[in-house]
Amino acid sequence: MNTRREFFKTGLALGAAVSLARWSRLSAAESPTPVVPAPGPESPRSVLVAVRDGTRTAMVDKALASLGGIGAFVKAGQTVCLKPNIGWDAPPERGANTHPELVGHLVRLCLAAGAKSVSVFDNTCDQWQLTYEHSGIAQAAREAGARVVNGKDESLYREVDIPGGVKLKRALVHTLVLDSDVLLNVPVLKHHSGTGMTAAMKNLMGCVWDRGFYHQNNVHQAIVDFLTLRKPTLNILDAYHPMVRNGPRGKTVNDVVEMRTLMASTDPVALDAAAAKMLGLEPAGVAYIKIADEMKIGTMDLARVEIRRFSLA
Amino acid sequence: MRGRGLKILRVAGAAVVFAGLTAALVDFRGAVPGLVGHTFASIQFVPSAVALATGAGVALACLVVLAVTFAVGRIYCSVICPLGILQDLATRIAGWIWPKKRPRPYRPASTIVRQAFLWGAVVGVAAGWAGLTLSLLDPYSVFGRIAADLFRPAVTLVNNALVGTVGRFTGEALYRVAPAWAGAGALAVPAAMLLFVAGLAAWRGRLYCNTVCPVGTVLGFVSARGAWRLAIDQAACRKCGDCLRVCKAQCIDLRHGVIDASRCVDCYNCIGACSEHGIAYRWSWTRPRAEPATATAAAAPIDLQRRAFVTASAAALTTAAGVGSWAMTRVVAEVAAGPSSAPPADTSPNRSDVICPPGAGGVDQFLNRCTACHLCLSACPTHVLQPAFLEYGFAGLLKPRLDYAGAFCNFDCRRCAEVCPDGALSILTLADKQVTRIGAAQLNLDNCIVKTKGTDCAACSEHCPTKAVDTVPYGNNLRLPQVNADLCIGCGACEYACPAKPRKAITVAGRRTHERAIRRVEEKAKDPRRAGEFPF
Repeated sequence: MNTRREFFKTGLALGAAVSLARWSRLSAAESPTPVVPAPGPESPRSVLVAVRDGTRTAMVDKALASLGGIGAFVKAGQTVCLKPNIGWDAPPERGANTHPELVGHLVRLCLAAGAKSVSVFDNTCDQWQLTYEHSGIAQAAREAGARVVNGKDESLYREVDIPGGVKLKRALVHTLVLDSDVLLNVPVLKHHSGTGMTAAMKNLMGCVWDRGFYHQNNVHQAIVDFLTLRKPTLNILDAYHPMVRNGPRGKTVNDVVEMRTLMASTDPVALDAAAAKMLGLEPAGVAYIKIADEMKIGTMDLARVEIRRFSLA
Repeated sequence: MRGRGLKILRVAGAAVVFAGLTAALVDFRGAVPGLVGHTFASIQFVPSAVALATGAGVALACLVVLAVTFAVGRIYCSVICPLGILQDLATRIAGWIWPKKRPRPYRPASTIVRQAFLWGAVVGVAAGWAGLTLSLLDPYSVFGRIAADLFRPAVTLVNNALVGTVGRFTGEALYRVAPAWAGAGALAVPAAMLLFVAGLAAWRGRLYCNTVCPVGTVLGFVSARGAWRLAIDQAACRKCGDCLRVCKAQCIDLRHGVIDASRCVDCYNCIGACSEHGIAYRWSWTRPRAEPATATAAAAPIDLQRRAFVTASAAALTTAAGVGSWAMTRVVAEVAAGPSSAPPADTSPNRSDVICPPGAGGVDQFLNRCTACHLCLSACPTHVLQPAFLEYGFAGLLKPRLDYAGAFCNFDCRRCAEVCPDGALSILTLADKQVTRIGAAQLNLDNCIVKTKGTDCAACSEHCPTKAVDTVPYGNNLRLPQVNADLCIGCGACEYACPAKPRKAITVAGRRTHERAIRRVEEKAKDPRRAGEFPF
């Protein structure tokens, strides 16, 4: 165990150095400031902002203000890929997808911050046009000025190496995820019959073409492996009315519980750990959170996280 | 001028019907409202007749078509029937390719061929092969398959080429779509029909309509006895032959100055072509038994035709009755004996190897009513509907079946039934559709990744809309799939999602007669948080 952990530590430190250099070089072409530093062994404590009892827009505004505003993440002229959870052909009130109101608001904020373009997509589970429309996300994103991009077009995916991956070493990844300056991960919190829960890290499964590969090759490990390729610039979790059973698709509105909460962090592991607690789960009991912690993608130890709690009530 | 007006009306009407139907059938991205396809398909003769005969709906279109045909001739064949309009297009294109003015002399009717096909169809229907017979011979369904199976993927390819030239992220206005090609076997039939029909049209106009098509034969029988028919004004006719050059049906007998109303499709080309204005509608109806006074020259052949017709009819009816009773005894024997081969895993006597769409009631009823027009295939947003080749057996050739290899049936969707013109799929309420069991999931845990690899998966349960497939705790913090058969409707989401190779761990067996699943109602979920509103 120890040697394995150490192997990951050194490997990831090296990998992080290389990949961070790569991403900062990429964004340097567009703007002088690199993206927000990702938490690693040497970086400062992860910050997690948790807001409750407000509207989705008020809560995300509060969370962003606490993190230095949208401008800390999106610079003028940058291209933004906003990745909500648009998995299922279900209306917003079922909580199966990220709420359209949150997506629309974030698109507007990015554009107001001077983003060159904001693109929204997901590799949906249900038929994609129906899912985009019935989730309300296509319309909300469209009206806010985003490009709504097909996630079911294989030609828009590019095969890349994932050097830090243990199981997922090579994958077809959507070019929006690979090429955008900013990756905003905007998941929804749900129970999940396969992995226990889904929030920030599992949402990124929709960036990859072949979902079946994840399931064939230890889904938990593959979820974490992807994070070694690209970590989102920022993760914003919609926990307004999480689906607490029958997930991830859900059956009726009876599966959701109103918690009126929104959380944001650059550390997807810390965010998922807090999210697990919202569903009454222990973070270490969710295999992919534990693996991500071990691989130093972030920390699941909330005692080591700076949690900023706000109530808008 | 009146002649030109009629032709303009005919062309305009045909353009509207053809454009509407073609749009619905080649719709590769779900852009055309279901009502468009359903409307233009429901006015077709055979689908309407099937719906009326089976009691699936008050489909009066076929009676209207008969009445109109009796009144003014086979307008159906020129304006409503998409296969007829397709032939006109083929004739026109052939005219551009080989532009010489080819004479189209009068040809006598191929009465024997026409009746052979008509009575073949009648025998087929009477023998209990209505579905297969009508699907092969209904001109609308023949066109539907050509448009849905050949034109649709072709248009998709053009779309994709266009996307390639415009750029990568074209957003919602233009995007790539995977072309929906049917399997080779199912594709061969419409491809052969397209070549055959277009070839005949290029060669001799509406020859198909006046030899093969049983609808053309039935309507021809009516129009030959119709009230108003196109007729040549003998006083005006100079026998210049201008009308022959434009006649699609080669039915103008200039020597006798007679137009064969049984083959005339009312294209009105001849009216405009006649410089003497010598062709017009004329009241021609006479009581059936009092006709010898009209034309002595034409009387003999007509009599012969009639005699042949009556003989053939009698022969065919006898055969039909015979074959019909033979088929009935076989059905009775089969029912008594039960299914011939033992089902593998699923022991239900109601098992079917093939899965037919919700709203069909069951496989047998579906195969009897569906004419395989493939409108539902084009309308299906997930493309889980695929044309069968021999999966249903020969009787189910080209009929839609659900294929879970590449898609599954969307829980909240009923588009196939919404567009179906012949009542083969009745529109269930959404609540009913969601408990209609078209198949049942069969779990084989020996193939399941959770067992074979010892890692989490549950892609099946993840996709299940009714939670008939759920998970139970297993081993070291794993979740193992489990099926609650009462809740399963057989939508195939689990089978589609199962990543196990080479054999899937969960598959769906069809139901011969559709069953009703239980809808489990759950109380409002409880808040799982253990402490406070921020439990961390």
